[in-house]
Amino acid sequence: MTATNVRHSARRGASAGSGAPGASPAQSPELRGLELVACRPILAGPTEVLFALKPGDRSLVAAGDAIVAGTSIAERLRDARIVELTPAATAEGAAAGDRWTGGQAGVRLRRGPGAEAGELLYEHDGHWVLAAGEHAEPVECPLAGVVRDVRPGVGIRVRAQGRALLGVEALGDPTSGRLSLGSERSDMRQGRLRSTSLDVGLAGTILVIGSRVDAEALTRARAMGVRGVVVSGLAGKERRDFMASESRQRAALHRLPPFAVLVLDGAVRRPIAGPVGAVLERLAGTTVAITVDPPALVFDEPKLAVDPPPADHVRVRAGERAGDEGRWAGLAGVRRFAGGTFLEAGWVAFGDEPPVAIPIADLERFA
Amino acid sequence: MTSDPRAFLALDLGAASSSAALIGRLAHRWRLVGSLAMPSSSSADGLVAELIRRVGAADPTLAASIGLLDDDGTLDAGRIAAELPRLVARSAPARTILACAVSSRALAPLAAAARRTGWRTLEATLEGTDPLQLISRLLDPAVDVVLVGAGDPPGADERRLLGELSAIVAGAVARRADLTVILAGAMTEYLDRLESSSGERTGELLLAPAASAGEPAGSALRELLDEIRGGPDDPRRAAGRAVGALADVLDRRVELIEIGFNGGLRATAVPGSGGNDAVTTVSIVADAALVPPESTDATVDRVLAWSTMPLDRHRLRDRLRELRLWPWSGIGGDGARLRLAAARAAMTILVDATPEQSAMPAPDLVVVAGGAFAVAPGPAVALAVADVLRRPAAIALAQDHARLLGTIGVIPDATERRQALIDLVDDLLTPLGSIVIPGGIRAGPSAGRMTVHAGTGSSDTNLVPGGLEVVDLPPGEVATAEFTFRDSVRLGTRGRHFAVDVSGGLGGLLVDLRDVPLRLPDRMDRRRELLDAWQESLWLTRDR
Repeated sequence: MTATNVRHSARRGASAGSGAPGASPAQSPELRGLELVACRPILAGPTEVLFALKPGDRSLVAAGDAIVAGTSIAERLRDARIVELTPAATAEGAAAGDRWTGGQAGVRLRRGPGAEAGELLYEHDGHWVLAAGEHAEPVECPLAGVVRDVRPGVGIRVRAQGRALLGVEALGDPTSGRLSLGSERSDMRQGRLRSTSLDVGLAGTILVIGSRVDAEALTRARAMGVRGVVVSGLAGKERRDFMASESRQRAALHRLPPFAVLVLDGAVRRPIAGPVGAVLERLAGTTVAITVDPPALVFDEPKLAVDPPPADHVRVRAGERAGDEGRWAGLAGVRRFAGGTFLEAGWVAFGDEPPVAIPIADLERFA
Repeated sequence: MTSDPRAFLALDLGAASSSAALIGRLAHRWRLVGSLAMPSSSSADGLVAELIRRVGAADPTLAASIGLLDDDGTLDAGRIAAELPRLVARSAPARTILACAVSSRALAPLAAAARRTGWRTLEATLEGTDPLQLISRLLDPAVDVVLVGAGDPPGADERRLLGELSAIVAGAVARRADLTVILAGAMTEYLDRLESSSGERTGELLLAPAASAGEPAGSALRELLDEIRGGPDDPRRAAGRAVGALADVLDRRVELIEIGFNGGLRATAVPGSGGNDAVTTVSIVADAALVPPESTDATVDRVLAWSTMPLDRHRLRDRLRELRLWPWSGIGGDGARLRLAAARAAMTILVDATPEQSAMPAPDLVVVAGGAFAVAPGPAVALAVADVLRRPAAIALAQDHARLLGTIGVIPDATERRQALIDLVDDLLTPLGSIVIPGGIRAGPSAGRMTVHAGTGSSDTNLVPGGLEVVDLPPGEVATAEFTFRDSVRLGTRGRHFAVDVSGGLGGLLVDLRDVPLRLPDRMDRRRELLDAWQESLWLTRDR
């Protein structure tokens, strides 16, 4: 990005003291215009997590149940199929979504091979149609919480205990593990995971990678017993390759433990945001969970204090300075940027450099 | 504030963009005083306060005349922002409908109606589908509404399976209390079955006419679907209403093309005659979003076809995904060109989805709107429209720069709406210029000559087939362009000599002598070079 106008930092030096954590942009005149910058919450409060179910899947919990991490909350059918029952096979008052268990004398199935149990789908011409299957696999809830809602064929909604660090996307299955910073020898936020740097010593962990990971490293990580990966950006090609690998894994008879990839920012390479990285560093060594819906890293560490960054702390989300973080130094008005576009901009001071104009839409702040 | 306000705010709160316009009462007319657009992630109150602050700083006298200043001459932007009356258009969240029928033949008109009314549309049929798959799709939490339909009377191929289809839907309805179900045509006879299977519900069970009902066919179902999707203050629906009023006010055929985050709008209005209201045709197409939620191979191909950047498919896919996640970010550099390439691809979808509007007589004025065009220079927007709307005609082009059509359309009373437009019509449209597209130009060294008679003098230009001729004609200026073609061409009618009244704008007069429809080289590098050369002549502010 070409910053075409630069102001001297001395003029904005007064704003340095205005960046107290938690200061409201609307209340501080020095922070005027900061409310126009997108605000990204670092942590969300108690989060409702959805575990999707398909017709035929069996819920093992009920609304109101308190569950601990690792509880099997459902059985997922790998080979669900349709079975038609005779009218005598069901009791009066049966309803869609009810469980059906067979074995009664005189009950003859009208279509499909026999079934011991299943889920009633719909009633047609006086008989019920059932979703049944032979092979079920457990669905484990990787976090503690309270079951809020169970809807057969739709999903189980759990109110997670603890706080959540939200991402933009999660791939794979919900999982949990000990959080490990993947690149301890260098800056964790900038790191890259190479497949050769993985070994079985990382089994059971959720790795924070930094800015870049490829599908080969993800596949190898799963094979080594790693439970999940947290990364800032995942390119489309790696995403597609990983999804294909995940699909093959789901079809395999003996599945590996659940594995998930949490993407914090998007599809292009940029380091993990500083305030987010600080939370991850403090969580290192603790047990966390990755959820898919919503995409988040959930942890239950009530004693972990997370101090928000100074109110004037901003991060560049896109453009040539993507990933850089600095201090808001006021509105710059409409400015010309590379490519011949005129955009609303704000002054940002990076370290000791004089403030430069950055498009407001490329910035984010944290709360 | 007095009881008779001298200013109000018009807010268009879209899915990706928020726009605030300050309207003031000046010389007994409502006038647009200023406007500001930002990403929707910005605080709307902060946006309004900043706008008021800028108005006060730019012209304190004007600010005082519309009551923005206190008695002591100071401006408390935050307080004024909170006190000013607001006219708000707010985008309805994107919603997904599953159109469902017994057969593909019965499904087609249902899906078409849904696609034209702004729904993200999924399709499912019972014929040839495992009922388990069908019920899985009905239970998908991403589906907000199910449209189940049949012919009225049902066709021979439908009758046999209608009972089973209704049973499957009833099974899904029993589990999803939040699901709204619309029964269309002969499916309405199965309402009892659905009612009996569902207990306490938050979703609705609605009856709709058959997909072919109404004049023109399908209009009755479209009207209902449109009503269900967006509320009365949905900016796209409201803009459709405002375009009718605009056509009446200008007494010209007007077409509005809007490309936004969650869909595109094409509204065509013909002014009323003999005291009748304008006739408006409105199509809202979710598939014509700037970037769809999932960038499929087809999406990448469509944008790649208009891209002037040397990006491979993988990198382009990543850029599109980022554009979807952060639609206002990364505009500097080549980001603006990427947005316009995506906007061209979206406009292509919009035009393809609305063939009957393309078949109408060419409009006199095309208005472009939406976040896709918010940060591009006017001349580049004009070229983007000329690239996609290939109609042999002379068309004036303007931009709804302050996104006022959506907010004015929210005014419920048609007379008040029209009155507001009469006051604001000179302010709400930024003239981008005029486009003349003669059809049927033959290859050769010259297609003819053009003489432009403007107030400042006349200019004579040789017309080269396959090229673009740009005549500098500033906003506010009108001129007469006389064309003498070597061969007979189509320009409204067929002929060799034409005299066309044109109006100026940011892009001036653009004479487009390229093929109709536009033909581009198959080879990617040559196509890119050609597109880049065309854009080079109109993107005057780009880095060279």
